[in-house]
Amino acid sequence: MTASMDISFIDRTLKTTAVLILLFLALGSLHFPFYDVLAVVSGAIWSIINLYFLALLVKATIRPEGPDKAAALVFLFIKVPLLYLAGYFLIKVPMFGVGYLVIGFSVPLAVIFLKVLGRVLLGLDNKKPNHESQQEAA
Amino acid sequence: MDFQAMISLGAPMGLGLAAVGSAYGIGRAVGSAMEAMGRQPEAAAKIQTAMIIGAAFIEALTIYVFIAFFIAMGKVG
Repeated sequence: MTASMDISFIDRTLKTTAVLILLFLALGSLHFPFYDVLAVVSGAIWSIINLYFLALLVKATIRPEGPDKAAALVFLFIKVPLLYLAGYFLIKVPMFGVGYLVIGFSVPLAVIFLKVLGRVLLGLDNKKPNHESQQEAA
Repeated sequence: MDFQAMISLGAPMGLGLAAVGSAYGIGRAVGSAMEAMGRQPEAAAKIQTAMIIGAAFIEALTIYVFIAFFIAMGKVG
């Protein structure tokens, strides 16, 4: 069974990224300077939270039953001033190299890219569901 | 015009241009997604996912410019 490219794709991507950065934190700190690894992990965590709130904001705004304004405002407030302020302070941490933070920010995007590339190469979105192909065969 | 003056002038201008470009890009992406969802409500979930991914990538570009801005300003200040 293959999972579809619906809204749960974002959640699955975030989970994959979280596992990836946990592995990187465990293994990378053995081979690279600790603060560089911490900068990458911090950037990735920031990016995961950013993407999570972006998805929540879109889900609260674009719904068949109309937008949930209160929830959308809360998510918008968390995402734009608070999260961006946290990102600003991350950049300002003297121990963190900006390049390593940028690598961290890009990790969820790389995971998305690779997951989508995998789907395209394997043709997962072109396959018809089982019941449709059975009906055609019948 | 010396190097520092060029960075002082160019970095904020570049940041502004990136913000305008991203705003235009996200606006177009969301507008087109809304249109597509209106035409094909049964594909709304897939379109919404693609829209969120597109928005995340566009937003990331602005963040990169923002970071480059700080690096450039660090060289000036």
